[in-house]
Amino acid sequence: MTKIIINGTEVETREGIPVLQAALEMGLNVPHYCYHPGLSVVASCRLCLMEMKMPHPKTGEMGWAPKLMPSCQTPVRDGMEVRFDSEAVKRNQRNCMEFFLLNHPLDCPVCDQAGECLLQDYSYQFGDSTSRMVDPKYVNPKKDLGPKTLLYANRCVMCTRCVRFADEVAGTGELCVTNRGSKAEIDVFPGKALDNPLQGNVVDICPVGCLLDKDFLFKQRVWHLHSGDSICPGCATGCAVRVDQNENVIYRLKPRYNPGVNDWWMCDEGRFGWKYAQDATRLNRVITRRGEAVESLDWAGLPQTVRFRFAEVTAEHGDASIAIVLSPFMACEEAWLVATALRKIAPNAALVLGPVPLREQDEVFPKGATNGDAKFTISKERCPNRRGIERIIGALGGPTLTFAEFSENGGKGEIKGAWISGGYPEKWVDKELAKAADKIEFLVVHDLFASELCAPAEIVIPACPFTERAGSFMNIAGKLQPFEWAVKPADGCKRDGQFLQELAEITGIYQPESVRKLMAKQMPEFAEVAAPPKMPEHQH
Amino acid sequence: MSWKVIDRNAAPDKAEAPVLTDALVEKIRVFLPRYETKRAALLPALHVVQDHFGYVSWQAMQELAELLEINASDVFDVVTFYTYFWTHPRGEKVVTVCRSTACAFMGADSVLDECKKVLGIGEHETTADGKFSLQTEECLATCDHAPCLYVNERCHKHVKPEDVRRIIEDPNNAKLDIERSTLFDGVKGA
Ligand code: SF4
Ligand code: FES
Ligand code: FES
Repeated sequence: MTKIIINGTEVETREGIPVLQAALEMGLNVPHYCYHPGLSVVASCRLCLMEMKMPHPKTGEMGWAPKLMPSCQTPVRDGMEVRFDSEAVKRNQRNCMEFFLLNHPLDCPVCDQAGECLLQDYSYQFGDSTSRMVDPKYVNPKKDLGPKTLLYANRCVMCTRCVRFADEVAGTGELCVTNRGSKAEIDVFPGKALDNPLQGNVVDICPVGCLLDKDFLFKQRVWHLHSGDSICPGCATGCAVRVDQNENVIYRLKPRYNPGVNDWWMCDEGRFGWKYAQDATRLNRVITRRGEAVESLDWAGLPQTVRFRFAEVTAEHGDASIAIVLSPFMACEEAWLVATALRKIAPNAALVLGPVPLREQDEVFPKGATNGDAKFTISKERCPNRRGIERIIGALGGPTLTFAEFSENGGKGEIKGAWISGGYPEKWVDKELAKAADKIEFLVVHDLFASELCAPAEIVIPACPFTERAGSFMNIAGKLQPFEWAVKPADGCKRDGQFLQELAEITGIYQPESVRKLMAKQMPEFAEVAAPPKMPEHQH
Repeated sequence: MSWKVIDRNAAPDKAEAPVLTDALVEKIRVFLPRYETKRAALLPALHVVQDHFGYVSWQAMQELAELLEINASDVFDVVTFYTYFWTHPRGEKVVTVCRSTACAFMGADSVLDECKKVLGIGEHETTADGKFSLQTEECLATCDHAPCLYVNERCHKHVKPEDVRRIIEDPNNAKLDIERSTLFDGVKGA
């Protein structure tokens, strides 16, 4: 711990951090553009300058040094005294803001960043309302930097965060600064576009509206957006994300700060890969088949029907002929609810972990880094909760089957009653499973999209994607991370947890915490979830 | 949208053969042992290319990047940082007008305007016949004779707008008063 004095208040800070970081952590709003805790420090924007006490060169007496120092580049030292509230500091902030706006087109009405723009905020908080600039502004061309990102160079404050991200985190180095001084621009080498699996992060860290996401371009004014804190289900890394929606329509995903997991970043696959959640072809009504006839079922009577039919099949064939396939896309709570509900009816029902989509290897960043010094890893395991489901299956005990065994036994007609949870964003049913499904007498399918399982299933229940659900996923490192729903279930669907809770005959509104309390009685490790800490309010 | 959009997804035309000939590559390699990293040899390498071709083409930038094992974007970054390097052909003679404070006070703007008029080109452009290029530069270190301009390495002092045509038309306008030192270890004979 280091003790320093900021604005006359003594604070304890972590050792070696920049004074700026310490000030932000104590809640001060210190304007800054170029500093980002995940990137190297360049101290180029000069917005964060502070006054510091130093010994007088002749008398040795401590006093405020006449020269302002960049707080982002000055590490804290015991006994140090700095201030951000003096006239000199404020004057610098005013001048900097005037300078940043010299060539800025002030086109906020058509700028996507408006409402979450640090040029707007800082101008308002620290700048002057007028500019002394009388000369014409430079007008720079817009640039199509790559397949997903645009650059409106006029709005740039030249913080070079984006360039450092491409160099230091992605390790792909596509971005550069061309020209010099007032003519400097962000650019890429022609034909070597900004196109790496992490590129979307440059849009997030750009403090202004210079780097723009084509996918979100002109879609929404950000102040209309409401967000839900979620966990990306794209891979086992489990990045904390924010789902931004307006009137139940999702517009974008943004990463949330989550130290040790995704830090400040997320990958493009996760960022843009949620579109299936709003796909019009999603299953949207409960159906049941009796012979050739297909009927819609009411959600209200559904839990009872499912329980009743499972009880019938169990009575007829014995509980060893029942299997429950739990998908690695389910939340821990959901999986536990299904397993408990059905095991109550068929105590020896086999628990099965659904297929885990795998890639050949993890993708590690910066490109060329080894696992040890990786700043970001995209896991080869393309589902969010394999760990959690495995723990639950293990903790609940009793018979289990591997997914291959399930398909095989099913194909041989040994399984008479089965519950299959899907929830995969992509086509996931293989030939073996389809064959097994044909042989299963009573099959319940709980899935997002129609598949080969729907025809042989007696009951097909529409599931919800992660954006409509709440619960927790256990990531590859064994961290149990909670996520909440961002939008209401699509028409005709019901929140998975709510329905499954009713299936398990637990009354009330589904609340993951309450379910976890029940789970913790059997499995103490589910008592606590690890929600990421909040970033200091004024950090960005 | 009325704004111009530059599409960076498209690669520049690729030359059939490498533009850095073996001889040029050899010239660049000479610099490598002087530095700890290959990256550090970028500046001397750019001088070699600039002096040989009169500019650093997209193709040359890519080949340099490969040779020095850096990103092409890094080369692009450095090339455009220094106004000395050109990304399109530079004329035989370069007229450089100072754009710093002392000269600005003494009327460098009108000198620059006159240069543009006489040469018929804008800043950082080259005449159609390839004879002249025009550029501006920060302080040329002759503030006491402001405003001043250079034709290649020859300095013309106290330039008035009405002098510009005479200076440009003078065939000896780039002749140095004192020969360049032989100790100059840049690429000679440029
Ligand atoms: S584009 Fe954005 S992130 Fe990059 S230098 Fe400009 S303001 Fe900074
Ligand atoms: S100079 Fe400190 S944040 Fe930019
Ligand atoms: S200001 Fe023009 S030479 Fe110094």
